This record gives sequence, structure tokens and C-alpha cells, in this order.
Amino acid sequence: MKTQGKGSLLACCLAAALGLYLAASPAGAADKVVKIGNVEPLSGPSASVGVQGKQAREMAVEEINAAGGIKSLGGAKLELVYADSKSDPTVGVTETERLINTEKVNLMTGCWNSAVTYPATQVAERYGIPFVVPVAVRDTITERGFKNVFRVAAKDSWWVRDQFRFLKDMQEETGTKLKTIAFVFENGDWGTGFAEKWRELAKKDGYQIVLDEPYPSTATDLTPVVTKLKSANPDVVMLVSNAADAILLTNTMAEMQVKPKVVLASGGGHADPKFLENTGDTAYGIFDEVEWNTDVNKPGAKETNAKFKKKYGYDLTGESVDAYAAMYVIADALERAGSTDPAKIREALAATNLTSGPAMIVSYDGVEFDKDGQNKNAGIVIVQVAKVDGKPERVTVWPKAARRAGYTPVFPANK
Amino acid sequence: MSRKQLDATLMTVAALVAFGLPLVVTSPTYLQILILLFFYAYLTTSWNLVGGFAGVLPLGHSVFVGIGAYTSTILTLQYGVSPWIGMLVGGVLAALVGVVIGLPTFRMRGAYFCLCTIAFAEGIRVMVENIDSLGPLKVNGPRGLLIPLKDPSFWHYQFMSKLPYYYIILVMLLIVLTLTWFISRSKIGYYLAAGGEEPEAAAALGVNVANCKLLSMALSCFFTALAGTFYAQLMLYFYPKGLMGLDLSFEIAFIALIGGRGTIAGPVIGALVLRPLNEFTRIYLSDMLPGLHLVIFGLILILVMLYKPQGLTAPLSAVYDKLARKITREPNAKGVAA
Repeated sequence: MKTQGKGSLLACCLAAALGLYLAASPAGAADKVVKIGNVEPLSGPSASVGVQGKQAREMAVEEINAAGGIKSLGGAKLELVYADSKSDPTVGVTETERLINTEKVNLMTGCWNSAVTYPATQVAERYGIPFVVPVAVRDTITERGFKNVFRVAAKDSWWVRDQFRFLKDMQEETGTKLKTIAFVFENGDWGTGFAEKWRELAKKDGYQIVLDEPYPSTATDLTPVVTKLKSANPDVVMLVSNAADAILLTNTMAEMQVKPKVVLASGGGHADPKFLENTGDTAYGIFDEVEWNTDVNKPGAKETNAKFKKKYGYDLTGESVDAYAAMYVIADALERAGSTDPAKIREALAATNLTSGPAMIVSYDGVEFDKDGQNKNAGIVIVQVAKVDGKPERVTVWPKAARRAGYTPVFPANK
Repeated sequence: MSRKQLDATLMTVAALVAFGLPLVVTSPTYLQILILLFFYAYLTTSWNLVGGFAGVLPLGHSVFVGIGAYTSTILTLQYGVSPWIGMLVGGVLAALVGVVIGLPTFRMRGAYFCLCTIAFAEGIRVMVENIDSLGPLKVNGPRGLLIPLKDPSFWHYQFMSKLPYYYIILVMLLIVLTLTWFISRSKIGYYLAAGGEEPEAAAALGVNVANCKLLSMALSCFFTALAGTFYAQLMLYFYPKGLMGLDLSFEIAFIALIGGRGTIAGPVIGALVLRPLNEFTRIYLSDMLPGLHLVIFGLILILVMLYKPQGLTAPLSAVYDKLARKITREPNAKGVAA
């Protein structure tokens, strides 16, 4: 009796040890699982976007697994392993190391916060684990010559690049000539950063800069700024504003009858739902910049958004669409790699040229990485505030391929 | 076996275990936990030089960690100086800053001194967060500094494996422990203890209390700053809020108070108790209740202060004394019998 007890105890120990061993051994093809580590802000100040990214990933992975997983790996399933960065770079680095060393993930994604992504991707680079960044905008993340970092979304400076592309495309499309340009922006890090790039690109595209006006975002009266704008009388006004000042500027401009041909904002305050609630009719015609809009005219976008909304109760956002698409980018690379070896996955990711499938609900036309891992085709969407069913709505107008079906942009918005 | 022999044997065994541990612990994640354990034991031992022996409670030591990290990293990034040299430069700089802070604040007693050190530390952190570049030096404000990957080598202070980091921090810990041991048995140690407990009486006996305190502060800051460089090279990234914030300062004080201020083993025992707790609550409980580990720290601190206000070292060494007496008496007893 006693020896039997000892025997079963021994067996238990052996089984436990075996279990530990199996759990610790790298996930090979035989396991039919590809482990994807995700570092996201699941608690702390950016928890809500972190959870959005998590849910978008989960929906994509469910779809991929339901469709038979990775066929070249014998139907291997994708498995998501999460770690909370708390938006703290140090925690992000530690958790990335843990996912790579202890969880033995085959590749990584994350981390939304640029501040976390920047050092976390360096950890992955050190271990030679591919790191797919759906969205984290800091330019330098893909400017360090890393071999294992791949960013799906556009980087910071491309937001300005696309504003000027939009202006150029629309002038060609409508036969309008825009000559003078004015910059009005909040005087913080964000606004001054945009303005710096605006000056450069405006010069390159041959615009005459007639006003360059920073203002404090906390201002309660922007009449002086609008007065200057009125006397400068530019064709184009470029804006960077937070919510309160975006509303104030728009309403003051309407009051003072300042009607430039094009008003082009840079997201932020203009994308805040409060903006349309508080501007009423004065916002019609304004162009704004976002990563993605629910009405983009891309195959599957509407259905995917409907499915997501039914499942989680809210619309997809730019960030969650990038996270969703990133899972399909990974699945595509795994399919071509036919291996769970990080080096092989890396090679396959570098050779990505994805132009079809569920990932293409993004506003741009494809995913193809340059030598630093930046998606060459990533871009931004420009929307116009228009009256739809008697209410102001943000309608996608640019790029033309993503434009809402049946909508003709009002360009110039004022004659 | 005499008591001295027993002590020496035990210490050798402990050191051997510490040096041999990586043979058993091979997972980088657990090695990292051990590295951070030694890192905190080291920081607290450095803090103990002034916080333990000089009888004051400085609560802004993270600022010296920051000075160490920033100095060596800026020198490496902008001037190509090896972090090993930058580490010493940072140490000297921190010692100077420590003396400058110490000169006015050591006149204060008790809580006033604590508050003053907090104010200095927070002030410097906020300044660093708002400075993009200081003359030619790129501080990079709240974004912090990232150390780019280089070929792993001793000179670059970068390694692929966790093992070199483990041994570096272990050796650093042993050095600062030895120094503490010497100081506690030196004249300065006695002066410090006297000045900490009864400054007037000590001064009346001709002890220059202020100078002793400044010396201990300078030493403490020097060694604290070395840890800053170590941390920067381990993580290859740091930013002001994480490295120079009050959280780190408080954690050092927590470890010292729970382990036992002014004792040699206290910081190590405190780190042995608190660090694993911190790591495991973060990994396994952070989903449920973020910040839970701080609540647990607080509870432990309250319990220790209520029942063992001298820290855990005092009761543990009492137990050890009892055992040691038994062990050392045994051969004697046998000797008598024979």
C-alpha cells in the first residue's frame, strides 16, 4: 500500500515534469500551433485602445483558425499570448523578453504606444524574433535598419505627406488651382512638428505661404488669429487643433465670413465627436485626416465592421483595423514560410506583397515592406464633413479608390 | 568549530550558491528576476550607507540612479565613451550632487529631511523631463534614451546572454557589502552611528558629525549611480519617470525598512523577501488588480513595523545566534565527553 502510494506520487511528479518540459519546449510544427506574443496597454491610461486592438486581433485569429489555420503547416492554429504593457516602456521591454524567452513565441506584435514599441522592437531585434507593428506612429521605429521589425500602418511624417498628395490629386481631378497656403496650429509638440513638415512640402509643391500662425490650444478667443487669416486670404488653410480650439476656430471663421477654398485639418480635435456636435452647419466642407473611416469603399469593409460591431458593440477604428489586418499579414507570411522558425518567418514577412483578402479593408491598396520594414503602401484617409440625411457626417473622399460610392467631394469647398 | 569559522563557512557557502545559481537557473526570465533582485539588494545596500548608518531617511535616491544612467549613456551615445568609464564619471558626478544636496539638508531632522530629499529628487526629475538638450548634451526629455544594439562585448557593456549581467551585479553587490562591513567596523562607522542617534552628544565628544554624514552621502551616491549605468545597459532603454521617479526611491526604502536599516544583511534579506513578491504579483496578478504588489508591500511594512520595528534581520540573527551556539557547543561537549 505504502509503496503503491509512493509509486503514484512518483508518476505524478514525472507527469508534471513532462508537462513542464512540453510547455517550455519551443512550439514546433508538430504542435500545430503558432504562438504570437502581443504586448498591449491592457491597463492604465491607454487601456481602451489596447482592448480594441486585442478584440480586433481575436476576431481575425478566430476567422483564420476557422478557415483551417495555416495550411502549409498542416493546418496549424494561431494562438495569441497577451502581456500588459501598462503603457510603461520598461514593463513593455520586460514583458517582451518574457514572451520571447519563457512563452517561446514565434513572433511578436504590439505595442500601440510609440514609447513602448520603440524599445520593445529592439528587444525582438536582439533575439531575432519578427515583430509586426500594426500601429505605433513614431517615424524612427522603422528607421533604425532593423531586420525584424515590420510596420503595417503609416508613420507620423506620412500624415503630412498625404495631406499634400490629397491637395495635388484633388486639384488635378477638379481642375482647381490653389496657390496660397496658411498654417494655423496649436503651439505644442504636435502642432509645431506638423508645421515644420508643412513648410518643407509647401515649398516643394510651389505654394506661397501667406500665414504661419501658432496659437495656444487653451485660448478662449481666437478672433486675432481669424482676423489675420481674413487679411491673408489664403486658398488653403492647414490646421492642427485640439477639440475646444477646433470648435472655436470653425465657429469664429464662419462668424467673420472667412471662406478659404480648402480647409484641411489633421485629425485630433477635428476627429473628436464633440467637434461635429458643437459646430452645427459651420463645419460643412471641412476636410480632415484619419487612419480609417467606417464608410471606406473597400471590399469587405462594411461586412467586417458590421460583424465586429455585433460582436463587441462598437465600430472598428483605424487602430483596430490595423491590428486586424496585421493578423492576416502574419497568416500570409506563415503560409509562405511553411515553418515556425523565426528566421524563416522574417524572410517571408520581408517578401510580403499582400493586395487581396480580408486584410484589404484598410484604406490603402496593399502591404509591402521596404528594407526597414515600413509598409510602403500605407496611407491615410481624407474625409469631408458633408450633410447626409440632414446631419453632418464624415465622408471618405481620398484616396479615390476608397471614396464612398456615389459621393462627389465639394472641392473647392468655397468659390 | 569556532563561531568565527562557522560564520566564514556559511558566508563562503552563500557566495558559492550565488555564483553557482545560474547552473541551475537557466531560464532568462528567472535569471532576469535574480538580476533585479541583486540590483535592488545592491541599491539598498548603497542607500544603507547613509540611510542606515547615518540615521537619516533619504527618500530621493532614484535621482542618483538617474544621474548614473544619463551620464554613462550620453557619454556613450554622443562621444563613444565606454559605459564602464561613463559609469565612474556618473558615480563621481552623483557624489558631488549628493554633497550639494546634503550640505543644506543634513541640518534638518526626521521628516523634514525626508521631505527635502523628495523635493530635490522630484525637482530634478521634472527638470530632466522638460529638457530636450542641455547645451550639446541630448537629454531627450520625457522620451528617455535608447541605447542602440552593438556587438555584444565587455567593452560595450552589452551581452546576448543574461549571464554576464548576473555576475556583474553579483560582484558589485559583494563589493558594496564588503565596504559596508568595513565601514561598520571602522571609526567612521561608529562616528556615524553616534551622530545618527545623539548628534549633540557626539559633537560634544569631538566627532565632526556633519563631515561624516557628507562622506557617507558621497559614498552612497557614488555607488547608487553605478547601479544606474548597470540598469541602462541591462534594459538598453530608460526614461525619467521610470528611473528617477519616487516609486524607485520608495521601493529602496521599503526594502531597507523591512530587511533592517543599518544592518549589513538587511538590504539583502529585504530584497529576497520583496523582489520575488513584486515580480510574481506583476506577472500573475496584474490582470486582476494593477498595483496590488504595492498594497502587499504596504501590508508587510505595517506588520513588520508593528511587530519587528528593527526589520527582519534582528529576529533572524537571533535565531541564527541560537543555532550557532548549539552547533559550536556540540563539538565542545563531545570533546569534554571524550
